[in-house]
Amino acid sequence: MGYVAVTGGQKAIEAADRINQWYRIKDAERSLETIEIEKQLRHLTDRVMSEGGLYAPEYAALAIKQAEGDLCEAAFLMRAYRSTLERNYESEIIDPGQMRIIRRISSAFKDIPGGQMLGPTMDYTHRLLNFALENEDVRALQELLKEQIPEFNTDQPLSLPKVSSLLREQGLLFPPKSSDVLFDITRDKLTFPAPRSAKLQILARGETGAMTALAYSSMRGHTTNHPTVGELRVGYVEVTIVYPFDSRESLCLGEIMLTEVETINAFERDDQGDVKLRLGYGLTFGQNETKAIAMAILEQGLETKGTTPSQDEEFVLLHVDSIEANGFVSHLKLPHYITFQSKLDVLRQTQKIAESEKTETLKE
Amino acid sequence: MVIMTKQHLSRIMSACSLPLLEEIAHKIEQEQRLQVEREPQTSLIMTKAKDSVSSQPFYLGEVLVTECTVSLNGQLGVGIVIGKKPVRAYCMAVIDAAHNAGLPVLDHWNAQFHEEEKRIQEKYALEDARNAQSQVHFNTMEEYNDKR
Repeated sequence: MGYVAVTGGQKAIEAADRINQWYRIKDAERSLETIEIEKQLRHLTDRVMSEGGLYAPEYAALAIKQAEGDLCEAAFLMRAYRSTLERNYESEIIDPGQMRIIRRISSAFKDIPGGQMLGPTMDYTHRLLNFALENEDVRALQELLKEQIPEFNTDQPLSLPKVSSLLREQGLLFPPKSSDVLFDITRDKLTFPAPRSAKLQILARGETGAMTALAYSSMRGHTTNHPTVGELRVGYVEVTIVYPFDSRESLCLGEIMLTEVETINAFERDDQGDVKLRLGYGLTFGQNETKAIAMAILEQGLETKGTTPSQDEEFVLLHVDSIEANGFVSHLKLPHYITFQSKLDVLRQTQKIAESEKTETLKE
Repeated sequence: MVIMTKQHLSRIMSACSLPLLEEIAHKIEQEQRLQVEREPQTSLIMTKAKDSVSSQPFYLGEVLVTECTVSLNGQLGVGIVIGKKPVRAYCMAVIDAAHNAGLPVLDHWNAQFHEEEKRIQEKYALEDARNAQSQVHFNTMEEYNDKR
């Protein structure tokens, strides 16, 4: 059944747009500053950047304002905006092992080289509404927190070795898989089975809720998968490109924040019969910890054979994208008159046939 | 003569104080024949990251950058920086072009660049020190009970 477009309604649509603007600000005392969204709603901004597949905190904040806090709509705005821009360069390969860390934990090992650092987290905080935030004095709080800085020196290394590197050195991990094609889902048409690089790219910009739900289904009983977080790290990495006028040089463009997760999923035997650990991998823009864990669970699920939903490549990869899923479901709000009329026609026709068959039977 | 790699210089310029970059670029503008080849404009960089399971790269997502290209005495220079920062991208391009044209820009401003680099490192160290306050060593309950 094809979709038939409608026409007309221009005045009503323009009015609806004005009304929407009215509802956005009608009870506001002042317009929300995008800088406030960017600097004080970090996780929201990070989530929109991650799901939009575009690292641009200032524009993510703008998208959140424009979408009035609708995350899917904001991510959609980011994707739409990115499609209007030129893309002239690819970065050199970012190694999160070189991350300038602000948070690093392991739920598998108590003692990791360099130590665990809780950093900015709500993990250990009571989930009680903090009414003091209603009348917060930002300046006073900033001053108070500034005073609580210990001695520091600039010689200390800001990056720490990865737990997986140490496990790999000890021969406890499966060796890296053979070379794979570097697939770009923004340029190339996806076919199945998808290369690993495509799976990771799709998951990296997947919708947090969808990914969390699927990862939860994987852990809760559809599989026996219950991974442990070998390492979760959040911090800044440098983005560099090859210098355009001399390929022997590089340019540093600045830093972006990433969350990286390595989960230890299972013990398996390798070809030599040795038991080794298999890792799951998650990497996202911003501080998106639940999503990064879900990504690691899902990508590892897709690497194993099974019949559960989270092990079905097409099912997972085609349903975790915010823009596609939200777009398809919400398009049902748009006029479907012809579609529905044809359904009614079929129903009436069926009823007519049934009625005539009933009459025939009675006659007999 | 001061020698600095492009990566080192751009690392400083992408995070240093904007007024310093503007001062250097302004000085170069006054003394040299400068032409803007490409006005500062926003564009995208696709980032590649290393997947630690396969040790192979994958595309993580795009980053918004501002790029600008200028020429100075026939030598091109480019400024590319993360975010919407047209003035910074322009100044970086001017300084890069001056460097490529053999002008002693690094010699003249060496002290200021080093000062800025030190300030950036201090800022990072300060952030690290703040976060290091949350270093933790969890004990299992068995260990806890053994100690009692």
